[in-house]
Amino acid sequence: MSVPLRRLRETPRHLLVCEKSHMRHERSRHAAHVRSHAYNCRVSFLIPECGILPEALKSVITDIGEYYLVKNLSLHELVTHEFINTFVKKGSCYALTYNTKIDQDNAAALLPTGKLIISVDKDTYEELGLQGRPSQYSGKKVMRYIVTIDLTDSAFDPDSKKHKRVLWALKEKKPLEFDFLLSWHNKGAEGSTLMSYFSKNQIQAHQPKATFSTLRNLQCPVLHSNELHGKLEESCSAQELFEWLGAVCNKVGLDNKSFSFLSTCCCPQPSTVVEQAYLCTITGFILPEKIIQLLEQLCCYFDEPKLAQWVTLTVHGFADSPVSWRESEHGFQKGGENLYNFVVFRNLDYWLQMAVGANDDCPP
Amino acid sequence: MERVIYSKLPPQAAKLLDLQPQGSQEAEAFVSAFLKRSMPRLKDEAIQDMLTRKAVVLEHSLRRRTKEKRKKTKGFSAKQRREMRLFEVKPEQQKYELFLPLHELWKQYIRDLCNGLRPDAQPQMIQTKLLKADLHGAIVTVTKSKCPSYVGITGIILQEMKHIFKIITKEDKLKVIPKLNNVFSLELDGFISHIYGSKFQLRASERSAKKFKAKGTIDL
Repeated sequence: MSVPLRRLRETPRHLLVCEKSHMRHERSRHAAHVRSHAYNCRVSFLIPECGILPEALKSVITDIGEYYLVKNLSLHELVTHEFINTFVKKGSCYALTYNTKIDQDNAAALLPTGKLIISVDKDTYEELGLQGRPSQYSGKKVMRYIVTIDLTDSAFDPDSKKHKRVLWALKEKKPLEFDFLLSWHNKGAEGSTLMSYFSKNQIQAHQPKATFSTLRNLQCPVLHSNELHGKLEESCSAQELFEWLGAVCNKVGLDNKSFSFLSTCCCPQPSTVVEQAYLCTITGFILPEKIIQLLEQLCCYFDEPKLAQWVTLTVHGFADSPVSWRESEHGFQKGGENLYNFVVFRNLDYWLQMAVGANDDCPP
Repeated sequence: MERVIYSKLPPQAAKLLDLQPQGSQEAEAFVSAFLKRSMPRLKDEAIQDMLTRKAVVLEHSLRRRTKEKRKKTKGFSAKQRREMRLFEVKPEQQKYELFLPLHELWKQYIRDLCNGLRPDAQPQMIQTKLLKADLHGAIVTVTKSKCPSYVGITGIILQEMKHIFKIITKEDKLKVIPKLNNVFSLELDGFISHIYGSKFQLRASERSAKKFKAKGTIDL
C-alpha cells in the first residue's frame, strides 16, 4: 500500500545539464549540439521588451520549410538502394515513425548520418532475424531491442550478403509498416523531391504551424551572463530561469495568490517587470538546420541597441522518438521529455540547458 | 590328552595319595551341592544351566557367495561412437538433391500415418500423430529464435539428436541447430505446424513413448 503511494509522490529522475559560452567563440559547440538533436517537434522563443516581431525573424519563420507525412510506408522501402542514392547520400534525410509509442510499439528512425534505428519489442525481434542489442533500460527480462543498420556503410552495397539479409527480413520475413514523418535537406542541388518519389503512397505535405502572442506586464528574472548559479540578491540561477520559462510558455499563473490552490510557482527574485514580451511557438517536424538559422537571427537581433537583456530559444524533441542526442537511446518512463534551451545575452554570451527524463542517457 | 585328566584315578594312585575316589554319582552330587553353597542367590535351574556345556562361538567366518560376474553389454561408449563416426555424413554426400527422395518418402509416410491428409482433417489429430512421428527427412524452417541469426534457415533434417537437429540447406551446407529456444515450422500439404524446440528435447526414439503435457509457457 505504501510503495505505490511513495512512487506517486516521488518525482521521476530527470537530468538538467547547463553550459555557458560565447556565440562567436571558436570552440563554441552550440551548432554541434543543435545538429545532433535530430527530431524536434516544437520551437519557441521569448523576447522581452518587444512588441512586434522583427522582419528578419519573420522571414526565417515563414521559410522554415515543409515536412511530409506518408501513411503505411513499408520499412523495406527505406532500405532500397534507389532511396539511399537519391536521398540519404545527397543531403540529410530525416524520417521518424508517427503515432507509435516508444515503450509499447515498434518504432523506427532514420538519422541524417545514414543510420536506420529500429526499436522493436521482444516478439518482433525474435521473428525479424536481424542482429540487434537489448535496450539499456530493460530490467531482468529484456522486452525491448534496438537494431541499428548503417545504410551508408560500404559493406551495404547491392548484392552484398548484408543487404540481402536486411531486405529479406524486412520484406518477406516480417514486413513492418508505419506512418512516417519525412523531411529532406539538400545543400543547394535540386534533385527529385520526396513528394514525387513517394507519390504511390498517400503522401501529404504539411507546413509547421506558428502562433504569436504578446504578454503584458510580465515579471522577468534578472540574469547575469557570467553567473550560472546566480548570486544572492543580484541575479537568478539557470535552474530558476528554466522553471520560470516553462511556467511562462505554458501560461501558468505566476501570481501565487493565497486563494489560488493550482500552483505556487512564482517568478524568482530578483526580477523586473517588463511591459511587453513577444512569445512565438512553432510546431511541426522542424529540421536542425533551420533552428541554427533561427539562432543566428536571434543573435543578429542584438546588433542594434535593444532594451532586452536576453532572449530565449526553447526546442522540444518528440516524446516517442527512439533517439535523443546523436544515437543515445531515448525511453518514455513517466515523461518522454528531451529538450534544450538557449539563453542569449546582449553581449552574445549564451547559456545552454539540456534536459532529459528518466530513461535517457546524459546529453553530450 | 584331556582323557588322561578326566579319566578315573587308578586305585593304587589313590591309595598312595590317601584319596578316596568318588563314584560318578557321588561326584555330581558333591559338585551341585558345592555350587549351591557358593552361589546361594542363583536358582537351581540356573546352576543346572551353567553345568550344561554350551559351545561358545569364538570366530564365525561367513563364506561370501561370489557374485555372478556382470556380463558387459556389447556396445561402445559415446566417446568411441563419436570416434567411429558412424553418423557423419561425408562431404561428397552432402548434396541437397540427394536427399530430396528422402523427403518424398517422408511425405508419403506422414500421409499414411494420418490416413490421407484430407483438407477437412482435424488439426488436433494431425498434431498428436506428428508428435510421435519420426522427423528424418522433413523440410523445416526456423521461424522464431532467441538468436536472430538462426531465423530463416531452411533445410531437410538429416539427423535428430537429443538437443539438436542436423539440417542440410539448399546451398549444400550441413548446419547444426540447437532445439532450445527455437521454433521450427513444418509444412505438408497445406498443414503448417510449429514445433517448439524447448519442449522437444528428447531423442527421437524416446519421443514416441512420451506423453506431452502443457507445462510452462511457450514464450521464448
